[in-house]
Order: sequence, then C-alpha cells, then structure tokens
Amino acid sequence: MNSSYWRRENLTSYFFAFIILVLVCFWLKSFHVESSWQHAGLLNLSVGALMLAAHIIARTLKTFRLPLISGYIFTGILAGPYVSGFLSFDMVQKMGLINDLALSFIGLAAGGSLHVELLKKRIRPITFNVVFQAIIIFTTVFLFVQYFGHLYSFTQAVTTVQLTALAIILGATAVARSPSSAIAVINECKAKGPLSETVLSVTVAIDILIIILFTIAMTVVRFLFVQSVESFHGAFFVLLTEIGLSVFAGIVVGKGISFFIEHIQDHLPLFLFFLAFGIARFSLAMSFIMEKYLGFSIHLEPLLICMSAGFVVQNFTPSGFFFKDSLKKIEIPIYVLFFSVTGSSLNIQALSVTWPLALSLAGIRIFGIFAGVGLAGILSGDLLKYTGIAWMCYITQAGVTIGLAQLAYRQFPEIALYISTVVLAIVLVNEIIGPIALKVALHLAGEADKE
Amino acid sequence: MKIFFALLIIITIVFGGYHLTFRQFRLPLIARTFYLSGLEFILLGIILGPMFFNVLDGNSIRGLEPLMALLLGWVGMLFGFQFEISMLRRFPIIQFLAAIGEGLITLVLVFVGIYMTFGFFPEVPINMKVIYSIALAATAACTAQTGLALMASANHIVNRDSLNLICYISSIGGAGALIVYGFVFLFRPETSSSVSFLHRLGVEAGMTITACFSLLLLYTLFLTKWRRSEELNLVIIGMAVLSSGMATMLNLSPLLLNFFMGFWLVNLSIEKERIFNLLISVEKPVYLMILVFLGAHFKFDSAWPLILALSYIIFRSLGKFSGWFLVLALRPDSKKHSPKLGLALIDQGGLPLAILLDLLLGFRGEFTKIVISVAIVGIVFNDIIGMYFQKRLFVIKSDE
Repeated sequence: MNSSYWRRENLTSYFFAFIILVLVCFWLKSFHVESSWQHAGLLNLSVGALMLAAHIIARTLKTFRLPLISGYIFTGILAGPYVSGFLSFDMVQKMGLINDLALSFIGLAAGGSLHVELLKKRIRPITFNVVFQAIIIFTTVFLFVQYFGHLYSFTQAVTTVQLTALAIILGATAVARSPSSAIAVINECKAKGPLSETVLSVTVAIDILIIILFTIAMTVVRFLFVQSVESFHGAFFVLLTEIGLSVFAGIVVGKGISFFIEHIQDHLPLFLFFLAFGIARFSLAMSFIMEKYLGFSIHLEPLLICMSAGFVVQNFTPSGFFFKDSLKKIEIPIYVLFFSVTGSSLNIQALSVTWPLALSLAGIRIFGIFAGVGLAGILSGDLLKYTGIAWMCYITQAGVTIGLAQLAYRQFPEIALYISTVVLAIVLVNEIIGPIALKVALHLAGEADKE
Repeated sequence: MKIFFALLIIITIVFGGYHLTFRQFRLPLIARTFYLSGLEFILLGIILGPMFFNVLDGNSIRGLEPLMALLLGWVGMLFGFQFEISMLRRFPIIQFLAAIGEGLITLVLVFVGIYMTFGFFPEVPINMKVIYSIALAATAACTAQTGLALMASANHIVNRDSLNLICYISSIGGAGALIVYGFVFLFRPETSSSVSFLHRLGVEAGMTITACFSLLLLYTLFLTKWRRSEELNLVIIGMAVLSSGMATMLNLSPLLLNFFMGFWLVNLSIEKERIFNLLISVEKPVYLMILVFLGAHFKFDSAWPLILALSYIIFRSLGKFSGWFLVLALRPDSKKHSPKLGLALIDQGGLPLAILLDLLLGFRGEFTKIVISVAIVGIVFNDIIGMYFQKRLFVIKSDE
C-alpha cells in the first residue's frame, strides 16, 4: 500500500469522524442543561470534542505541510465564541485553567530541551540574538507607534502621553515570544541542529528577559501617568528577588523530580503533569496569601520555576532520559488542548476593528526581528544561511504576550482598551503565521526530519 | 482557588497512598487486610469532607464533577475490556447461565430486602426507594475480580478449578449488575411523574442507542489505522472525556456508556492491547480517587441507617450463598467444588464503588449520601471478611 493511498484513506476516515463529531456536538448542544452534573458533562463534552476536532484538523492540514499547532489554533478559532460559538465565553474562561497547567508543563519541556554543552558552544550567537532582538524590536515598534500611531483611525483619539505609554507597552510586548509554539514545532519536526538549538535558547532567554523589560516598561508608564514613581531601585530589588527565588525554587523542584525518578518512578508522566499544575497554582496562591496577610507579595514565576527545574533535571542529574521520555508521553494531549484553547480565546473582533494598525505593527515587528537577527548573525560570525532565514523562527507570540497585555490592561485603565485590542489582534496574526514560518525555516536549514 | 488545592491534596494523597499501599508498605497480615480494602482512603475522604476539614466542600465537589465523570468513564471502559467474547467462549454455556443466575439471585434478594427495609423510612419517595434498591442490588451482585485473578495466577493454590470458576462468575456478575443498574435512570424524579414508563423507556433507549452508535462510529473511524502511541493516547483520552461528557449531559451513566465502549473496543479494535495498557496504567489511582470522593460524601447522622447496612450485608450474603448453590446445581461436576466456596464470593471489589459514585452524582440528595454510606459500610465489611475467606479457602497455609 503506497503512502498517498494510505494518506487518502486516513483523510477520508478523519473527514467522516469530523462530520460525526460536529453532528453529535450540535445534537447535544440542543439539550437544555440544568444541573451542575450536566454542566460538568458539557465541559467534558466540549474539551473532548475540541481535542478530537483539533487532532483531525491538524492532521488534515499537515498534509498541506502546515505545522500541527496551526491546526490546533485554527480549530480553537473555529470553535470559539467569535466564530461558531460552540465554546461560550464562560466555557473558554473555565478552560483557562488548562493554559496555566500547560504553560508550566511546557516550561518543564523547554528547560529539559536545553543542553549545557550546546549552550556553551553557541553562547555568542545566543547572547547577540537576545540583546539585539530585544533592543531593535522594542525600538522599532516604539518609534512606529509614537510617530505614526495617530495616523490610524483606531488610535486617533488618544492623547500624546497616552500614545507614548501605548508605544512603550506595545514595544515591550512585541519582544515577547511563544516558547510553547517554538518547542511544539521543533518537537513536531524532530529538528536538531545549531539553528533549532539557538532558536530554543533565545526564545527561552527572551522569555526571562521580557519579565524584566516589561517591569521597566510598566514603571515608566506609571511614571508618565501619575508623575510619581516608586524608586527604581526598590522595584528592581523586588524583581531580582523574584527571579532569584523562582530559579532557586526551580532547582529544588528539579532535584525533587530527580529524587522521584530515582526512588519511586510510578506514574512519572502523571506526576510531572500534576507537578506542573501544582507549581502554577502554588505560586499564585502564595502571592495572594502574602498580599492578604503580610501586605506585600513576592510573585514566583511558574514558567521560570519549571524551566529551571527541567534544565536542572536534564543537565545536572542522571534522570534526564526518563524525564524527557515521560514528558513526551503526554505532551501531545497537552499541546492540543493548550493551543486550541489559545485559539478559541483569540479575539477575531479585535482584528476586524484594528486590522490596519495590527498588520502594520506585525510587519514592523518582523522587520525588527529581521534586523536584530541579521545584526546578531553578522557580529557572532554565524553561518550566513541561518542569518537569511533565522528571522522566520522568532515570529510566534501567544500566551505570554496576552498575559502581559492583561497585566497592563489592569494597571492602566486609561489605555486598557487600546492595549488589549491591539495586542490581541497582533497575537492573532503572529500566531497564525509564526508556526508556519518556523517550520519552513527549519526545513530550509535542513534540520527538520525528512518525512 | 480552594478547588485546585482540594484537587492537589487528593492527587498527592492518592499517588502517595498508592505507592505506600501497593508498592512499599509491609504491614502485619491483619493490618494489611484493612489497608488493602481501601478503607484508609475512605477515611481520608471523610476527613477532607464537610464533616471535618471541609476542604472538599460543596463548591469544590461541584467544581471537580468533570473529573469524577471522567473517572467513572475510565472505570466503565476498563470494565468493558474484560468481556472479550473469544475468551468468554472458552467456558461452556451452562457456566454462563449459572453465572447469570448467581447474579440474578443476589440482585433479586437484595432488591426485595432493601426495598422492604425502606419501609422504616417513610419520608423517602417511592421512585427514589426503587432507585436506591436497584442501585444497592447492583452493587451487591458484584464480586471482586482483581484479588481473585491475582490469586489464580499465584503458586501454591488449592481448589484451582473452583477459583477459576469463581473468577468467571465474578466477571459475568459484574456486567449483569452494571446493566441492571442502568435501569435506575428510568425512575429519574424529573421525568418519572410526567410521562408513562414505556415512553421513558423509549426516550432513554433512543438516546442511549444514538449516543452509543455515534461513539462507536467515532472509535471505528479513529482506530481503523495503526496510530503512534502518542496519537493513540490522545484519541483514547479525548474519546473518554467526550463519552463521559456525553453520558453526563444526557443524564445517562458515564460508567455504563463507557462499559459498552470498552466492550466494543476489546472485541473489534485492532488496538485493543495498547488501549488496555493505557487504561490499566492508572487503574489503581482512579479507584483510589473514587474512594476519596465517596468518603467526602459519607454521611451517618443517626443509627437508623445501620438497619439498612445490616439488611444489605445479610441479604447479599444470602444471595451469594444461594447463587453458589445454583451454580453447583447446574454443573455436572458439582462434586468437585465445595459448597462452602460460596464464601469466596463475598469480597465486592472496586466496581460497586464506581456504581455508588455514579448514583451519587446522578441522583443528588441528602438521602442518597446516607444510602451510599450504608453501601460503603457494607462493601468495606464484605471486603475485609471476603479477603480473609478467600485466603482460607484457596491459599495453602504456609503461604499466607
């Protein structure tokens, strides 16, 4: 049986499965849900249907060489409240729990993917990429919004101060990446080589850097609005303490995981799954409890804890193999859920309102990435072929960016509407083209497995 | 926030407890008998529940309902996997009929006995009395299989033929019990008063058939081709979540619906072994979570329910002994099996606990909590003495 016949037959069964799934969902949606037990059923039904539909669509799109996560996101958009309405806003909010869990889990996977030896070898390109990309992307986006922002109808009504504040926030969020998307695409392509290692390292490093950068941006914007800012030293001390404690917590967790693997090992994939969930919730709860009872809070970053933990297990304990193997066993269901839920929460309406500005900013951001990566490539003496295509690897944006925008949304009601609408629209664009561009780049670099 | 911590506490307890109970602890025999009955997890559930720490309060339990529905679906599917027709066919038809008869006798005796005992509780509506009686009768008809199966595979066993026969009876009895349990949904209070019984039967049957048919089609379409293990895991987890959600939304039993799915998969899927390995890999933690959730609903606010518990234990024992005599009467080689081996049918195992959780979630109410508490007392009692009898009857003394 040749592969095209096999694929055709497979697609046919997927097609019919999708039709049945849709019919079942519509049939069940027509029922009146009364009791909490039925509501629980509705949630399970939605999650199950979303997982299976995302799997079908992603596998179908894969025959057109699109990355799986594009299929997951596309399914989420289709099922979400803005398109078919199969998932209501309330349901999407309930599923937000999956995002917390998945982000921590992805953090473990990201940390586990970094190898000290390779990092040492490529320290120059990684450092140059992080520094130049952060500076150039922030600067280009900031300058564009500052000088051309008022030309767009959506932002015509904002004052000069508000426009500067918006430019700073949008500049900072533009630097953010989606480590989850990068890891998912690299894993899917089974990519190995200098480019994929650099992309992974840079994406993870920027994810840490963005916390610092965003804190600075928020402090400056607060100063712009209220003209009285707490001491920069104080803010930085807190930030550095949080990062240090998060890394320390990650080391402890990493050693704990290694202990578990060496001495217990029962249900390791489930243990890691629930550990990620526990870390996400524990850091939130700790922050909340400290704020309530002590009047101040230290926010441990779950993503950073998990990345450090994964890094420690992989590089400083003998349990790296079992750790990665276990993550692999459950990563697909988590990716499917995470990206489809992310897709369902993407605001299509925001794009319809702000598309000229969003598309311009997405373009400017890509230009910034191109310039930053190019400069880093030239200065680090990296291979020329990577310099030409590496920019395609850094476009993806998702949960972290949305999270940052939400943070700014709550802090600055003066520009909240603009931040959330524009950022959501840009993320939508970047999350659609980013994974595709990354997959193409990995193939062009010859690092993706030939299928 | 509380719900997530409740979940984390349960998961930590369950996984830690699993490791200690089944992998590490070496306790004296008597303590081990209590320990392996799962009593400690029920007690933990009681401690976490509203009677003590209130970590698992009403809101947390409601928030965890999707998880409970999934657990029930998982158990149902796993149970369905025990009914591979080619395996069952190895036994003669008379043995099948004898096993069905054994289960039916217990069902009828416990149903009648419990229904009569409900005469002491005039405040319970008649349809709820029927529901509780059917559910308790269904739990009573179950016999633990895992312990027996493990024993059967061990060395130094006496009465091996009888042990194999009892293993077979326990499998068939469980399936019959689960199918009979499905009938409780016909007496649902919301529908039972407004339409005729036949109409309800038609509607429920129609919905069940439609749900089953669509799920079977989906399974068939997904599993016609060989899948990589990660992809297969995704499909099975997704289908388990979907089917438990579908059953719950339609006010059907996720346990029963997924039992049919398991039955279908084990008999028709090319992937049955890989699917079974996935399902069985978390079997124990799933059951332990069910125990904790049941413990959290435990309610005994007076001594009156003890009458029900006593009635449950007596009628069930009567049913099991009578059933065993029927089995012996129907078998041509009845002299090979001792009449006292009926004591080996006392141990109830995990399926009745899943049925109780299903009942609890499907038929909310304070009295339901009392009913499940009664059954839990009966099941734990039966497990403890049942395990003791099984060892006395089948294990050579020096190996105890």
